[in-house]
Amino acid sequence: MYRRWLWPGLALPGVLWLVLLFVVPFYAVLGVALGKVDPILFQPVPIWNPLEWNVGWLNEVLSRLAPGGIWFDVGVRTIVYVLVSLALCLLIGYPVAYYAARHAGRWKGVILILIILPLWISYMMRMLAWVNLLQADGYVNRFLMFTHVLSQPRDWLGGSASTVIFALVYGYIPYLILPLFASLDRIDRSHLEAARDLGASPWSAFRTVTLPLSKTGILGGAVLITLPMFGDYYTPNIVSGSPKTSMIGNQIDLYFHGGPQPTIGAALTIVLAAFLTILMLYYMWSIHRAQREVGAVGAL
Amino acid sequence: MTHHPKERPNSLSRRGFLLRSAGAAAAFSGVDGLLAACGNTTSVPQGLAGPGGLPLARPDKRVTLPRWEDPIKSGLKPETGGTFTVFNYPSYLYKKVLNDFGAKYGVQVQYTPFDNVNSGLQRLASGGVTPDVMEITPDTLDIGVAGKLIKPLNLDYIPNLQKNIWPQLVDPFYDGESRYTVPYTCYATGIAWRADQIKKDIAGMDQPWDIFWESQAYKGKVALLSENRETIGMALLRKGITDINTEDPALVNQAVSDLKELYAVCNIKVDDLQYQTVPEGSSWLHQAWSGDMIAGYIYYLPKGTPASALAYWKAPRGKVPVQSDCFAICSTTKKPVLSHLFLNYLLDNGVAYENFVDFNGYQPPLNEIDPSTLVQKGVVPENLANSVLTNDDFGPDSLQYGTLTSRGQQLWEDGYSNFLAGGGS
Repeated sequence: MYRRWLWPGLALPGVLWLVLLFVVPFYAVLGVALGKVDPILFQPVPIWNPLEWNVGWLNEVLSRLAPGGIWFDVGVRTIVYVLVSLALCLLIGYPVAYYAARHAGRWKGVILILIILPLWISYMMRMLAWVNLLQADGYVNRFLMFTHVLSQPRDWLGGSASTVIFALVYGYIPYLILPLFASLDRIDRSHLEAARDLGASPWSAFRTVTLPLSKTGILGGAVLITLPMFGDYYTPNIVSGSPKTSMIGNQIDLYFHGGPQPTIGAALTIVLAAFLTILMLYYMWSIHRAQREVGAVGAL
Repeated sequence: MTHHPKERPNSLSRRGFLLRSAGAAAAFSGVDGLLAACGNTTSVPQGLAGPGGLPLARPDKRVTLPRWEDPIKSGLKPETGGTFTVFNYPSYLYKKVLNDFGAKYGVQVQYTPFDNVNSGLQRLASGGVTPDVMEITPDTLDIGVAGKLIKPLNLDYIPNLQKNIWPQLVDPFYDGESRYTVPYTCYATGIAWRADQIKKDIAGMDQPWDIFWESQAYKGKVALLSENRETIGMALLRKGITDINTEDPALVNQAVSDLKELYAVCNIKVDDLQYQTVPEGSSWLHQAWSGDMIAGYIYYLPKGTPASALAYWKAPRGKVPVQSDCFAICSTTKKPVLSHLFLNYLLDNGVAYENFVDFNGYQPPLNEIDPSTLVQKGVVPENLANSVLTNDDFGPDSLQYGTLTSRGQQLWEDGYSNFLAGGGS
């Protein structure tokens, strides 16, 4: 009897945590998105009874996001920015994590600290630091002109998509590297040795053994950074400020900023959450499949 | 509402009242009472009403708001001890001024910031904050009154209002008899630019607002205020439409469409940092409030950059939006007498001037302040003297962003959302 309740009991704090800090707040957002607005203060008046929910705001948000709607472009732009940033994070982060896990030796700890170090400073402060560095007469332009990469200063902060994507990559890449490192560090070297003994080239061994075995780390890291990126609004605000580089999070921010339609902001949050849930389901399915593959490799 | 760059616990009975009324503001019995108490000087546009069914004030349509409770009696002694909380935009009131007030009346002054007045009022209504006094703007005043979030004033405690403040703002159109507010700062909306980078005579153009649509050469250095009323209002004024409180969807949508042309013209940006970015040179052309250039000159102009590098234009009266930020006493106050004295303190010539010149940069509407005096004292350089307002800038034929109906606010907010989304221009 004691053993029967021991292991589920250990999960209890986590379950309580999820209920208090995820399920309840999410239901509150749902109640706001499908609720009413106080006509004087424009405060949301949540409706808790699902039978009384008003889907009007949700329909309004969906129509704005549909092709031809006023948010279609910003929705597509957000997806593109996040995908490009994710690809760049993987291109830069995977080799770093690989090196740290497999070849850094006694420097492994130092490299990990260096990766974590930027996280000791708030995201906002790091972005504001980049605003200074990217000024027309900032150190980035000075360096690039000194090395003759540029002949004249580039207007990095003039509202360009590349700067926003660069900032997203810079801001989120540590969160990708850490799970990737953990995943790569766990790979049993004997698997690689077996591949090489069986005649696989280094590339082939990487492609057929290391990469599949690190898939959970890739997916975990990808989820970890794409979810906040989708809701990000301060990065484009700080390094660009142009409507042409705004993201869907900017719209949520706008409608939650004391205006008369907070329900629109809440409904947009729900739609975004639903979209991310689809991505999460794909992640869970992929993880499940990857674990089965790992099991199969392990059985060999 | 127009946000400023510095960009009572809600009683159960009121909340219950709101919910029971199923959202029909005019149906509230409390609001009916308020409406019934409105003075004859009010003018309600046919079929249109603001929050709580209160009449919409306009410079040529004065509103005397109903008192939802009696003001405190005259001759009471100020409360002492404990904390006195000021609820305002961040960094919009000089700490020394606050500390001096605290020392004078034996209280600890606490400064609680909000993002904007609307969200501040929401926090106040939710009971999340319990300040004594707060900043409020004319276009949010109806919310404060209808929501019973601010208290009626007893002007016996505030003699500095009559003594020191511009006549136009002693008995302003948005708050006849100054029943709830006293003015704090005032400003106009115009254009700030770097005269050392932009050689065009912007002030001499037939329609200076056109400069934003002719700013290809300054791409990446051009920005508008990040405020729905200001951006859309500017596009309306450019087309000669002076009804900056219009709720005509065709006019608002056309203005938004015009604004979207700016993506291709100059990759337009939106922010409220003009007081810093223009003096520092990262922005060359920016829609700006008049106080921004004064604050920018005082605090952000780099050493070695002459004041002549800054330029400011505002349209003449009747074509330029002017605003006045105000202070009111919150219903949450436990120190109503001291709160009155604080409002009077803010209108003291010495205190208001010190707050303006030594910290804020946004001018108080004091009789003793005029552009030539400020230039003589070196507070404002001669080329920025036009960013100082006078009593004559206000009046029945002036332009001010006023409270909109709920539908109008949605129209403007959605229009701004469309512009901010950066979609097909």
